[in-house]
Amino acid sequence: MYWLAGGFLFRRVVSPFHKLDPRTKLIIAIEFFALSLAASSIISISAVLLSILGVAVLARSLRRIGRTMAFSLVFAVFIFSINIVFGLGILRAFTYALRFLAIISSTSLFFVTTSPDELEQIMKWLRVPRDVVFAFVTAVRFIPVVMLDTFQIMDAQKSRGLELEKGNLIARVRNMIPILIPLVVNSVIRSGELAEAMESRGYGSTPHPTSLYRMKLNWYDWVVLVASVAVFGVALYIYHFYNFPF
Amino acid sequence: MSLIEFKDVTFVHQNGVTALKGVSLSVERDELVGIVGENGAGKTTLVKHINGLLKPTSGSVTVDGKNTRDVSTAALARNVGIAFQNANQQLFSDSVENEITYALKNFGFDPGLIQKRLDWALGFFGLEEYRKSSPLILSGGEKKRLTLASILAWDPDVVVLDEPTVGQDAIQKEKLAEIIKLLHSAGKTIITVSHDVEFLWTLQPRLLVMKQGSVVGDGPCATVMKDRMLLEGARVSQPQLVQLYDALNVRPDQPFRDVSEARAWIERGTS
Repeated sequence: MYWLAGGFLFRRVVSPFHKLDPRTKLIIAIEFFALSLAASSIISISAVLLSILGVAVLARSLRRIGRTMAFSLVFAVFIFSINIVFGLGILRAFTYALRFLAIISSTSLFFVTTSPDELEQIMKWLRVPRDVVFAFVTAVRFIPVVMLDTFQIMDAQKSRGLELEKGNLIARVRNMIPILIPLVVNSVIRSGELAEAMESRGYGSTPHPTSLYRMKLNWYDWVVLVASVAVFGVALYIYHFYNFPF
Repeated sequence: MSLIEFKDVTFVHQNGVTALKGVSLSVERDELVGIVGENGAGKTTLVKHINGLLKPTSGSVTVDGKNTRDVSTAALARNVGIAFQNANQQLFSDSVENEITYALKNFGFDPGLIQKRLDWALGFFGLEEYRKSSPLILSGGEKKRLTLASILAWDPDVVVLDEPTVGQDAIQKEKLAEIIKLLHSAGKTIITVSHDVEFLWTLQPRLLVMKQGSVVGDGPCATVMKDRMLLEGARVSQPQLVQLYDALNVRPDQPFRDVSEARAWIERGTS
């Protein structure tokens, strides 16, 4: 589980892609996302997917994005099967499943390479209200903590004879109750403690707090931005005017 | 044959961190064992091997002759009860009595026996008045007692306590020490992981000192606690009575077990 979740979590890595301004990374991710939606053939979606994986190699994050894809593969198979059942044909069903993987990978690329601090800066730049930014970024920061909690709770309950994999589907869902209740209770307790700690350190005392870090678009950001927009335009042009065989 | 045997156990976490390095040790039946060491020394990782929550990357762990690789955690848990540090990570039932009987139902106990064990646990841990209350309304100390009650209710042969004194006041610690001594005298094998050296000193267990995934000290509590170099290397402080013992010019062979022993020795020297 931790292995899979790692595909959505930021880890500090030294790479040319990580050095980019978070806005540049966001725009690249949006372009990949849009191309995944616009592409309608297996060849074009495969090209998008390969491009995402190419950027992941550059960002030294291929393994982590691979985990996300491994996790998403289950849903991709489901999408493929459902489309087959509804008679859309193998090629279209495969196209939809592939598109799903491309969308997930583009999102994962952004989250794996963007720290919570950078997310916060982007949201502030987009004029999102401060409380909303804080809630969102805190939620992202707390994912590893909640995961650790989950493992510890699972250990505690397994030590009292709980067998998570035992029984039919309903029994397995019921087996999750001893995990979920302490998890929710712990999260509520932690959020209360966090709120008190934040208020004790002056959170909310001024409507416009200052910031230690500022985003800055460097020359290489501009180069990457211009290049990515150009590639994006060319790709859209090709999608529109070229008929792929499949 | 020893009840618990670690043979050259190494454990590497999924993130590549080696938490245990070639640990070999054995714990006999009825033994009282304490484990100390700095944060990240591998104490909790070690005890999680005893009921199979973790399986060794290399080496082997046997409990009552069974290799933990070959048996499920649920099967091992029948004989090994672990009370974890944070009570909030365990409590989930709508009432104290359901919390205590949860494991007993999992292990398929007879309803009559469940009732008997429930009554015993509520009485032994002073939780009778909360029988129908939600575990979530209990105080920190009461929650801790409830987690212990929910483990001891099924009468495991081995009881592992991970940081049992965290968040406990002085009176609760004294009560806890009494409970541990009582369980030990009743033939239970008790393993206590703790940073609280004063608490461990009152129990006088066989003491294991862990450092960076290895057991670097193992022996009677009084002998290990006298070894200041060993403890400093493992970032463990000496109990105050041992520090007092070390500071005396004239002293007995062994450190004082309690304050009255120390006082008697000092008064004898000054009279």
